[in-house]
Amino acid sequence: MTIGLNHCLLLAAMLFAIGLYGVLSKRNIIAILMGVELMLNAVNINFVAFNRFTPVSDLTGQLMTVFAITVGVAEVAIGVALAYRIYNDRQTINVDELDNMKG
Amino acid sequence: MNEMLSTLVFYVVAMAILATGMGVVMSNNLVHSALLMTACFISVGILFIWLNADFLGAMEFMLYSGGVAILVVMGVMLTKRQDGPPGNPFNHRKISAIGLVVLFALVMGTVIVSTPVSSGGYISLDTVDALAGMMLNTYILPFEIAATLLLAALLGAIILAKGDGEA
Repeated sequence: MTIGLNHCLLLAAMLFAIGLYGVLSKRNIIAILMGVELMLNAVNINFVAFNRFTPVSDLTGQLMTVFAITVGVAEVAIGVALAYRIYNDRQTINVDELDNMKG
Repeated sequence: MNEMLSTLVFYVVAMAILATGMGVVMSNNLVHSALLMTACFISVGILFIWLNADFLGAMEFMLYSGGVAILVVMGVMLTKRQDGPPGNPFNHRKISAIGLVVLFALVMGTVIVSTPVSSGGYISLDTVDALAGMMLNTYILPFEIAATLLLAALLGAIILAKGDGEA
């Protein structure tokens, strides 16, 4: 049987759910960042699958994925810098202990 | 025969993506999580190539399994508290998170399965040429905004990591 749009969308939904679980249930900031990355990748799979399997006439979906990847990489750079900064100031990156806005 | 092989490749890649994704979340060692995340990104890149998006596959390999993986591993090393492997503990919302995620997956699955999809499709044989033409003509404004965003993110990351008043 041929693989179609539905298969790719289901795969992306499952990957998104896994990433969401990581974001919701982890204590470490870096682990939460990894979950966010999995979710971004699931969205990218959706963009490319829609571009491949629906009747369109150009590569707009793939171009949106290029921009999404750009934003995702910028987000990781800022996230890791923030985690390093928080660790330097408070000696912890457990998000449950980070409940004080005044350092 | 060719179609069967293509189906087989999709299922193998899908299994790899889901298994490594589960490994990222479930692993007790943060370094193992980072390694499995790299494997997951490589699998996603292979899926992009399977979907005839070869330029995006190359981009995924270079940016995600190259750049992002190295950044995350550096983050793990810089924020290690004690000796021994860096742990990756769950918080107290572990059980309710499972419920929420299963609910989300069920709703998404129902929506996807019950929505009729239009047939057809579009395959470009020269994705680099097509993407470059669109990026520098129709979509020049998002392209410039992305360039500004990257510059701002770069400066912001440097200033955040350096701290105020130091060096």
